[in-house]
Amino acid sequence: MAGAVVREVVAPMDDRIVEFIRGLRAAGVRVSVAESVDALNATGVLGIANKGLFKASLRTTLVKQADDFPAFEELFPLYFGSGGPPMQNAMDDLTPDEQSMLQAALSALSGRMQQLMDWLTSGNPPSKEELEDLARQAGIKWANNPGEAQYITRRMLRQMGFAHLEDQMQQLMQKLQEMGMSQEAMEKLTGVIQANREAMAEQIAQQIGLQIAQDRAERPDELHGSDLMHKPFDSLSSAEADMLRLEVKRLVAQLRSRAALRRKRGKEGKFDAKGTIRSNQRYGGVPLDIKFKKQKLKPSLVLICDVSRSMHSVLEFMLQMVYEMHDQVNRVRSFAFYGDMAEITVDMANMRIDEAVQAAYNAVPGGSYRTDLGRSLMTFHSRYLNTVDSRTTVMVLGDGRNNYNPSRVDLLKDIQRRAKRLVWFNPEAREQWGSGDSIMEEYEPATDDVYIIRNLAQLAAAIDKMMAYS
Amino acid sequence: MFKDITDVRQQLEAQQYITSDEIATVVYLAQNLCKPILAEGPAGVGKTELAKVWSKALGRPLIRLQCYEGLDESKALYEWEYAKQMLYTQLLRDTLRTSLEGITTLAEAAQRIAQEENVFFSENFLLPRPLLTALTSDEPVILLIDEIDRADVEFEAFLLEVLSDFQVSVPELGTISAKFQPMVLLTSNNTRELSEALKRRCLFLYVDYPTLENELNIVRLKVPNLSPELARQAVTVVQQLRNMDLRKIPSISETLDWARALVTLNAKDIDQETLTNTLTVLLKYETDVQKAKRMMGDGGSRRQGGGSTYGRSNR
Repeated sequence: MAGAVVREVVAPMDDRIVEFIRGLRAAGVRVSVAESVDALNATGVLGIANKGLFKASLRTTLVKQADDFPAFEELFPLYFGSGGPPMQNAMDDLTPDEQSMLQAALSALSGRMQQLMDWLTSGNPPSKEELEDLARQAGIKWANNPGEAQYITRRMLRQMGFAHLEDQMQQLMQKLQEMGMSQEAMEKLTGVIQANREAMAEQIAQQIGLQIAQDRAERPDELHGSDLMHKPFDSLSSAEADMLRLEVKRLVAQLRSRAALRRKRGKEGKFDAKGTIRSNQRYGGVPLDIKFKKQKLKPSLVLICDVSRSMHSVLEFMLQMVYEMHDQVNRVRSFAFYGDMAEITVDMANMRIDEAVQAAYNAVPGGSYRTDLGRSLMTFHSRYLNTVDSRTTVMVLGDGRNNYNPSRVDLLKDIQRRAKRLVWFNPEAREQWGSGDSIMEEYEPATDDVYIIRNLAQLAAAIDKMMAYS
Repeated sequence: MFKDITDVRQQLEAQQYITSDEIATVVYLAQNLCKPILAEGPAGVGKTELAKVWSKALGRPLIRLQCYEGLDESKALYEWEYAKQMLYTQLLRDTLRTSLEGITTLAEAAQRIAQEENVFFSENFLLPRPLLTALTSDEPVILLIDEIDRADVEFEAFLLEVLSDFQVSVPELGTISAKFQPMVLLTSNNTRELSEALKRRCLFLYVDYPTLENELNIVRLKVPNLSPELARQAVTVVQQLRNMDLRKIPSISETLDWARALVTLNAKDIDQETLTNTLTVLLKYETDVQKAKRMMGDGGSRRQGGGSTYGRSNR
């Protein structure tokens, strides 16, 4: 099959496409190696002569999500040209006499303006080195996003003397008139310069945009999705957290299909009398098709979350992941505690995740502003114990720091006995347990498992494991 | 097979399907790279229709697998036809008796029957469902997997195996591979995130609401008796409605319904009265109708201008 053939990357266009793919990746679009091969194959089939088709073939093979279209649309013209008109050479239309007149008039201009006019009349844009120099002065290295190219370009054009162009043009024309250039030739010249001015600005903007995109793709220290997954929650910047939120969606999709496959491949369970009778009615009640109950039932979850400030960053990701898994669990009841415990409803369909976290925070009754799990457990034990049965997995999210309040491990033990499993998610490393007001070591014996979740990768692995055992 | 992109366009247009450059490119690439297409976009923009005209244009049979929650392998791939197996056992009772003649012990009889077992688990008793039909067909087919986002994640994972190898294994029969690799079109209304692995295997096609001109062409093609003047007015109104914040945005099929309604009512002009009477063809919620009436309420001046831009759906 054509799709399986890996072509050798030889043509310069292929190099450009590979570079473009790197640019896309740096912009946050996920492109796999297989997809890059598809893109090269597609351009092999359709050729690169027709730009519209070329663009369509790259888009259909590389971008698999409508949300990523804007990034593609932004980068494509940078890498493959925006299709603006090329610059023209004003000399072409002039007679030799007029040409020498123009030369003379130009040489009378001051240094910087002479340079600019030279570019605009000859149709030769500034060289790569000259541009790089100008870009450096305009502060290109501070730009992170190709969208900032317009701003950098404006600064560069100002440095090149575009602001005084009108004056200079008038002076130039005056001089040419004095030298006796015909009105017609002068109008033509003005037209060319105006057109070149537009074309040059556009070319520069494109090159600068490309430069920024390439720099971004080269930057090694930039953390993207998968790397960010290993960065501790408490050291995430808000931009990184945003990026990570997108990652969570992908991660959850993975976790969900894993959970679903696990359930499907799990051993079949007890004989299902009701199902067998019903499905064999068509054979006159002769049991030909024996049905078994699925052994792996979807788990019910009870979430108990610490909503104190220190837990916010991890809480958000945890809630998001658990609730996005909704079709793989039977039912989720959530409780938040701080000074005391309260049930929270997380309406992920209609709420943004940060709003949901805020709502969870607000749900907890006021009064005591210090984490008190002991008291919270008392409330849970007396009021909500019926939510826990032998099919429930109880997830506790907390750092086990209880402000020297009584731990009430006995209550947690009681909950564990009733539940199928009780697991604890702790964002603190084991070495920190027992230091200060941490009484995690006391709670640990009352749990079936403790997962350390300092970053998203650990959190995902923990949730996956929890789903596997429950 | 299509010769080139222009050919795709013309052939699909011959089947009364107006294509954009993008659709034609993707269809052509799918054919040449032998890859499935994943078509995403709002409901009613002609994703399913694309598969139908594709099959008609190439003169190949269309096999459709409609996905829904709870769809599993036995409904999508194959089932053993128990009833037929039963019937045959009954009918062949005499033959069985002769083949068991002279045998005295139960163990021997059981062994003899076990030897004949594969008679009952042969292709005769296999009830092929769409996926197997597509794979075993004697001519190349177009396989439409409709609304994949409605199927469960398990099914998606299973589909992945089929789409990457184009072969399935039936435990009793062994592996069945496709005689001709079918052309596959998956559609999705994006009600849930599809897995990366599935997307990776497909060419991606986002079908959006058409531009004013394209939609006008569609209306002219499908409802030729509507006067050109009125068609333009009607399409402009629809395009404008799509930019509004509505619960359900009118799709192409609704534009066509409306156009037909206008023909039936013999409308001369889209005035306030016609609009009030027929707006329910386009809009399916009372709140939407009220909103639209308020917007259109200030006469035709706003209806004539603008409308050439088209909005994305509220996905």
